[in-house]
Amino acid sequence: MSAIDDLAGELSKLPGIGRKTALRLTYFLLKQRPEQSRRLADALTTLAERVRPCAECFNLTEEERCSVCRDQRRDRGVICAVEEASDIGAIERTGEYRGLYHVLGGRLSPLDGVMPEDLTIDRLIARVRGGEVREVILATNPSLEGEATALYVQRQLSGQADGVAVTRIARGLPVGGDLEYADGVTIAQALSARREM
Amino acid sequence: MEPAGPPAAPARVVLRRLAVRDFRNLQRVELAVPPDGLTVVGENGHGKTNLLESVYYLELLRSVRGARDADLVRFGAPGFHVAAEVDLPGEHRVASRAVGVGFERAGKRKRVRIDGAEVPRLSDALGALPSVIFSPGDVVLVAGSPSERRRYLDVALALTSRRYLAALQAYRGALVRRNAALRDAARTGRGEERATVWEPALAEHGAVLWTERRAWVRRHAGAFAALCAAIGERAPMRLRYATALEVDGEDSVEGARAALGAALAAKRPLDLRRGLTHAGPHRDDLDLALGGRELRLFGSAGQQRTAAIALRMLEAATLRDHVGSAPLFLLDDPFAELDARRAHAILALLGDAGLGQVLLVVPRASDVPEELTRLPRASIRDGVLDA
Repeated sequence: MSAIDDLAGELSKLPGIGRKTALRLTYFLLKQRPEQSRRLADALTTLAERVRPCAECFNLTEEERCSVCRDQRRDRGVICAVEEASDIGAIERTGEYRGLYHVLGGRLSPLDGVMPEDLTIDRLIARVRGGEVREVILATNPSLEGEATALYVQRQLSGQADGVAVTRIARGLPVGGDLEYADGVTIAQALSARREM
Repeated sequence: MEPAGPPAAPARVVLRRLAVRDFRNLQRVELAVPPDGLTVVGENGHGKTNLLESVYYLELLRSVRGARDADLVRFGAPGFHVAAEVDLPGEHRVASRAVGVGFERAGKRKRVRIDGAEVPRLSDALGALPSVIFSPGDVVLVAGSPSERRRYLDVALALTSRRYLAALQAYRGALVRRNAALRDAARTGRGEERATVWEPALAEHGAVLWTERRAWVRRHAGAFAALCAAIGERAPMRLRYATALEVDGEDSVEGARAALGAALAAKRPLDLRRGLTHAGPHRDDLDLALGGRELRLFGSAGQQRTAAIALRMLEAATLRDHVGSAPLFLLDDPFAELDARRAHAILALLGDAGLGQVLLVVPRASDVPEELTRLPRASIRDGVLDA
């Protein structure tokens, strides 16, 4: 196998990149100065060597604990459980949340062989048992599998620690959205979760 | 005030043009369909049924015979394409619509376009060409397994109720996941909680399926008995929804959800042993009986054919209620095995209900019933249509 095929083969394993794009990227790199390729290779190596899951919440970090867990100003009484570390960025960008996180590492997906023991649910329970936590917010996706995961975590948490509230993020209409164009399921959800003004 | 014109013809869906490429043995069909319809005569194996299947593909977006898309592609071709121009009568005027579906074997990709715009989700395009297909194979609706009858209900309801379609997709998704979790629980001996977390979704969506199916059967049971009698069946025919689920009081989605949730819990020990979900609408059936005896086991071939045709007529009525006009009737040699008296009775009934445009295919010109001899003729040979 040639070096060109080798790289194109690796690149085409990336999401959203097919065989053609992989080859285009490979030939692009060949046209650049060699330092360019070396910097890319270094960046990839550093990424793999340095980035690891946070020992506490499984967020991605280059330290022992992630920047959120190390931040003393954050409310240690609230944990927001999400499917993937990339979900944390979305919540952080809102600037509205000041608690901690817990990355479950996916969602229950029996068809792909992802069962509860493949997620970090046990570690979440251990954190909650630690005593400092008042509330766990379940922020898995509002999909079939996300809902089942939230339900599983809720059931595992119940009875583990008295006085800990387990909540689920709300579902409904997007802000700035148009009622007319929302799909029926979303509107039904929004109606059933309506609140008094 | 405008002068009164001639009495308006009953509203009906009209297929004006059909273009088929590389679908089964049909290499290329370009057809302008007359407003009343068309009779296609051709020997067995020359592509009559394939022609109807290609038209119905625009309604169901899959093979009515349950074939995989890749198997519908003509041998040696990279993919197939079916397109139609359709007139859909609306409240004020007739809307014309262009529908096209293409499938590529290489990428296993299916693409639907309506009026040139690609439809992002297939389920949004379902029912694009309202039509009903009558074929000799329909006898499996009566003589076949319960899954055939559930499929019949699912198709009739999913094509006419968005809510049903959404519930059906979600229910099937939750069911396969619960079954996979049950098998995993059985294999590893770990907690059953991994299976139970799928039950709220099954109960929620299953309750919609259950109540809509029950309501449909209740609405159409009388018509079913009347249709069978009018076709010429002397003993009373009965249509019932057979289910193990018991709901207190009036059928409500909330009541069904609670009952289904309880039934799932009650069957869970058995489910865990077998690795299968035993409670729910995916185990229900349509119960067809003749004078109190199960038609599947005790009916004659003619009686079973009669009941199957009555079911298709109910499907047409359901579509008509939903669309507001008569659907396209795809008749695949539907009177084979029936005596002339029953065939006449069926056509008279279809006429009374407002027969839509007809695409009739028969093996011999002499098989065209008297009532339909007025339709223009075409012939088909080796997949080539001669209109």
